[in-house]
Amino acid sequence: MGPLSRETWAHRLAAFRASPSAFMAGADGENLGRDLLSDLRNEKQSEQTKVSLLALSLEYPAELWPNAPAAEAAATSLLDTLVLLPPRPSALRKPLLLAATTLLVTGGVLGPTSEASCRLLPLLLGLASGRDVGQGFGPISEQRPLRATACECLRELESCKPGLLGCSLGLLRRLLGQEGPVQPLSLLLALSLRDTLVAQSRSRAGLQGLLVSEISTGSGPWDWTLAEEGGAHLLPQAPSWPATEEGECGLAVLELTPEEARELRAVVAQLLDTSYLLTPVAQAQLLWLLGWALRGLRGQPPALFKPQLVRLLGTGQLTLLHAVLALKAAFGEALFTAQDEALLLRRLALAAQHPSLPLPTHLFYLHCLLHFPENWPLGPEGEEAAPLLLGPQLCRSLMPSLLHEPMALLAHLHLLCLLCAEEEEMDQGQLQSPQQYLEELLAGMRQRAALDSSPQTLATVCFQASYLVASCLPGQTKVLTSLIHGLAQLYQARPMLAPHFVDFLDQVGPELGEPLKRALQQEVVSKPGRNEALCWHLQMLAKVAEGDAQSATLSFLQDAAAYCTDWSLQQALLRVCRALLQTSGGRGLASLLQVLARQLEDPDGRDHARLYYILLTHLAGPKLGVALGPSVAAPALASSLVAENQGFAATLMVQETPAPIRLGVGPRMAKGPLPVLQLHIEALEPIYSLELRFRVEGKIYAPLKAIHVPYLCPGRPAHPLFLPLQPRCPAPAKLEVQALFSTPAGLTCHAPLPPLSVNFEDLFLPFPQPPNGAEWSFFEGLWDSCLPKGAESRVWCPLEPQGLETLVSRHLEPFVVVAQPPSSYHIAIRLLPTSMLLLQLEAAQIDGVPVALRTDDWTVLPLAGDYLRRLVGTE
Amino acid sequence: MALRGVWLVRPEPGTALCGSVRFSRRYPTVEKRAKIFNGVSYVPVPEDGPFLKALLFELRLLDDDKDFVKRCDSCSRINKTSVYALAIGGEELWPVVAFLKNGMIYASVPLVEQTLSPRPPLVSLSGISQGLQLLFGIQDFLSLGQKSDSELNTKLSQLPDLLLQACPFGTLLDANLQNFLDNINVASVTQPQKLPAWKAGTYKGKPQVSISITEKVKSMQYDKQDVADTWQVVGAVTCKCDLEGIMPNVTISLSLPTNGSPLQDILVHPCVTSLDSAILTSNSIDVMDDSAFSGPYKFPFSPPLESFNLCYYTSQVPVPPILGFYQIKEEDIQLKIAVNLKLHESVKNNFEFCEAHIPFYNRGPITHLEYKVSFGQLEIFREKGLLIWIIGQKFPKSMEINLSGTVTFGAKGHDKQPFDQICIGGTAYVKIGN
Repeated sequence: MGPLSRETWAHRLAAFRASPSAFMAGADGENLGRDLLSDLRNEKQSEQTKVSLLALSLEYPAELWPNAPAAEAAATSLLDTLVLLPPRPSALRKPLLLAATTLLVTGGVLGPTSEASCRLLPLLLGLASGRDVGQGFGPISEQRPLRATACECLRELESCKPGLLGCSLGLLRRLLGQEGPVQPLSLLLALSLRDTLVAQSRSRAGLQGLLVSEISTGSGPWDWTLAEEGGAHLLPQAPSWPATEEGECGLAVLELTPEEARELRAVVAQLLDTSYLLTPVAQAQLLWLLGWALRGLRGQPPALFKPQLVRLLGTGQLTLLHAVLALKAAFGEALFTAQDEALLLRRLALAAQHPSLPLPTHLFYLHCLLHFPENWPLGPEGEEAAPLLLGPQLCRSLMPSLLHEPMALLAHLHLLCLLCAEEEEMDQGQLQSPQQYLEELLAGMRQRAALDSSPQTLATVCFQASYLVASCLPGQTKVLTSLIHGLAQLYQARPMLAPHFVDFLDQVGPELGEPLKRALQQEVVSKPGRNEALCWHLQMLAKVAEGDAQSATLSFLQDAAAYCTDWSLQQALLRVCRALLQTSGGRGLASLLQVLARQLEDPDGRDHARLYYILLTHLAGPKLGVALGPSVAAPALASSLVAENQGFAATLMVQETPAPIRLGVGPRMAKGPLPVLQLHIEALEPIYSLELRFRVEGKIYAPLKAIHVPYLCPGRPAHPLFLPLQPRCPAPAKLEVQALFSTPAGLTCHAPLPPLSVNFEDLFLPFPQPPNGAEWSFFEGLWDSCLPKGAESRVWCPLEPQGLETLVSRHLEPFVVVAQPPSSYHIAIRLLPTSMLLLQLEAAQIDGVPVALRTDDWTVLPLAGDYLRRLVGTE
Repeated sequence: MALRGVWLVRPEPGTALCGSVRFSRRYPTVEKRAKIFNGVSYVPVPEDGPFLKALLFELRLLDDDKDFVKRCDSCSRINKTSVYALAIGGEELWPVVAFLKNGMIYASVPLVEQTLSPRPPLVSLSGISQGLQLLFGIQDFLSLGQKSDSELNTKLSQLPDLLLQACPFGTLLDANLQNFLDNINVASVTQPQKLPAWKAGTYKGKPQVSISITEKVKSMQYDKQDVADTWQVVGAVTCKCDLEGIMPNVTISLSLPTNGSPLQDILVHPCVTSLDSAILTSNSIDVMDDSAFSGPYKFPFSPPLESFNLCYYTSQVPVPPILGFYQIKEEDIQLKIAVNLKLHESVKNNFEFCEAHIPFYNRGPITHLEYKVSFGQLEIFREKGLLIWIIGQKFPKSMEINLSGTVTFGAKGHDKQPFDQICIGGTAYVKIGN
């Protein structure tokens, strides 16, 4: 098959890029990776197309070759392509090397067993060392530009498998000292140095001469064991800001011999000395890497960095100043004296507002100021704070201005707030205190937001600023009072900002929120509600209406009702009523709701008003609050109407909950016409109107009546409950129990309880007492009547002679008809509906008591046998 | 310090998606590391479509959210940096470094080499500055001499190849993309000695050094007794050094004119090798006194091949070079304007050109204009809402010129009309170029 045309490929690649997942799911997706590899080797395909194919495999290897074998095969194919390139200059070599490297990493196949890895790695190292790697790469002049690329590939492999190049440190050092390309080799050396130091400190080994020997062991330049460990430790390897991760993976444990320490110093000095040959961004990377590598290492004075610092502090270059900050964080006082710290802060403050630098840079420097790694921080770690040495003079230069971009304004404002918080107690000798400045600034922002043509962003930033002030200066009543006053005025000027106000009230604490609510309520109800701002006023009232100013609010609403002509206004009006219902209620509201239920044009509105009226007049305060309160069941996303309905539903429907009750069976009561189960109940939280419902499995008893308890309270003993049973056959059973109750919050809840067991003995009833003296004949009569339709049995109870008496008195006392203690008992038990069980226990012998059983219902016999055995067992 | 991806997004208000991804580049090996480093807090970089939508939403550039949107506009969502969290499929992709410049959003996602919950402070992430620097580099490359859309497209089409050189694996090698472009065109020079990485080759030819100084004056003039006018000079020294040799050493020394104000807030190019501590500490923050360092300002450096800004500075001049008076009165849809400009006698009355720009923001197009100028001509750009007053090469003898007129605006229409967050209502400015 010939190669696909350039247009076809362009089309295909564009389709893929638009949505890789959709493309791969389509019919063409499966073949893309294969076609790509085959067209790369096709001599007829243009180089330009091939470059674009390689670009795709650089970006989407996991999509094209999703599993390890496919990735390995693809990498092998790319390497073959590379080797087969004709020995002339070609733009493909570089992207081929990059693509093969990418594939090995993303496919997860990089390792000693992967054939492609074993081909690529020596090739990369060969190229990086400037060796002639063979005819396929053309003349040596063609190979030279690939040196840098090979170094980059090695660096990427080392990044993904830290420690991989641990054995090549000596080689890299030598190459850097010779004519090799400075930047790629410096960065590669710095990275593998850091990785090796981390790995060695983790395994508590020394450097073992890694820095000097060309290739230290027989295993070749690759240290797969170190790399395996490194791969496993990738996560904690690079806590880029040392202070935040101190202790977790510090390097302090690495003890170097004096010789090793000297070698290490030499390497670092070598790297730093040539660092000016690197591009600024690469210099920054080098400093981050070395700072991290040397942090906490004994005998490695950070003074090595000093010569670089003056040069770096002069620039406003983002990456370089950031790297200086990283060094500051890593070494603190060891590298930066207090004067140095002050100078660094000064440069940062300068750069944070330099007119020649772009806004994102300003913002980042401002962030750095608030997170400045101080030598001796005062506040808690991780919190934003103005550094101590920043001083009032520097701070003043960083004051916010209305001309700032919104984000810059907020950043500057934050600093100002911190300054205000600090200066609260200080004497106010200055011309203009920071508080005053702050108040004027906020007033200016409000003024701007109040303009009719003002864009949304200005209102947003005004409220964000207010929020920032409120959260940074919670105790400063003077600032807050003027803030409240100003915001109320802002609302007066531009009621359409109501959504911002509602959001603001949601976010701020009660200290500011409560007085602001009152001020806003005042603001709204003081004017007749009949203008175009009515919808905003209603929205506002729904948030702030509560408490004291009821009557004013109600008369405002009454007034407004006539102007609520469309559905949305009516709904807004009803929302206010709803808010009032929740907080207070009262007669005035009832009559307003009645009026609304009659007057509103929209039937839905009328229905709602009527519903609210009914709720108001029928439900007590707490229950009403719950009915209208935010529903537990409604997710936050649901519309207000849905939420409202669900709120009602929650109140008016039964909720399934775990039971706040414990129920247990008490001692047996053998009297009365029916067997009765005595229940003990205990509540874990207060509950009202408890109804316990019972159901018998298998219908062997008549349906059981529910038990009602009006009130239960934890800690207060409850009376026992009695549950009469009406067996339809004399058999034990399990009772399912359901509890239905009201919570103090007014919700009706339903809870299943663990089942209760009714034992065989719970069904025992005594026979009526025979007349005195007739006991024997009464028993005889019963005994004889059992046969022939009944059944008889004998059981041997292994009891001691005294045991019998105890057993009878404990368990069978109510049923004894004739007794001759301690040796002989005649017992008659009535079992509903129509059976009986007779026992004769007599002639106790040394090792037991023979028991004769008779019953008129043979089904009882096994139950009786079990019962006796259990009895004896418990004794 | 690596990046997971880079995007260029053009906001296109009014279209279906409100924008399009003009360029994107992902780095799968970095993504692989992100997955391991971030652990359970890992959020994958999405495809371009969802990324575009989330980015435009976060920057409030979607058409449908002109009203209050809680997720963006809530007062507690305070963003003080150019780093955002994008909501993608119920998760938040963070950190996304992004900024809008000249109608293009530049965005990148730096790798964070630790878990993302809790989010580490930005200052601790090397990728943030690296990501921003790459975006600045791309922005410089795109804006260099670019005027038309077709030029932009040509430059965008060069980007994949340039990034392959500048950032092959997501770790930035050089933010100066122009360097690589020169590198592509010029065959690389093989040097026995070490060549700095920021130099693509060496110069051969006649040695020459050209230096130009650009100064801008920002001034606020209140025309009030009790409020002091303010002004500040912002300067840049641009150099182009055509010198032979691998690392030629150059020292440029700047001296102030007689009675000139000292230079302050000096930021130098990274190629400057050493700095006097007086230069390092001279700034506009401290209260000025006579002991301020007044030069000469010496900058020893080894220049790169291309033209570069050797240093930026600010300064105070005793008086603003032009005194201005600008008044706006709004009457219905009309705006009455009056502008007076007076050149200070200390300034040489001779310019290459001099013109005053009078922009009107947040309004509709100019539909009608009546005006009177005492000198020069007025050009009207109706759609852009801009008046340009061409003063020419000289002020008249009186050194004072004025313009008065009435501008009428049409209804505010599409989003392409000039928008400004500060120039609302009666807030406006005049920009004078010469």
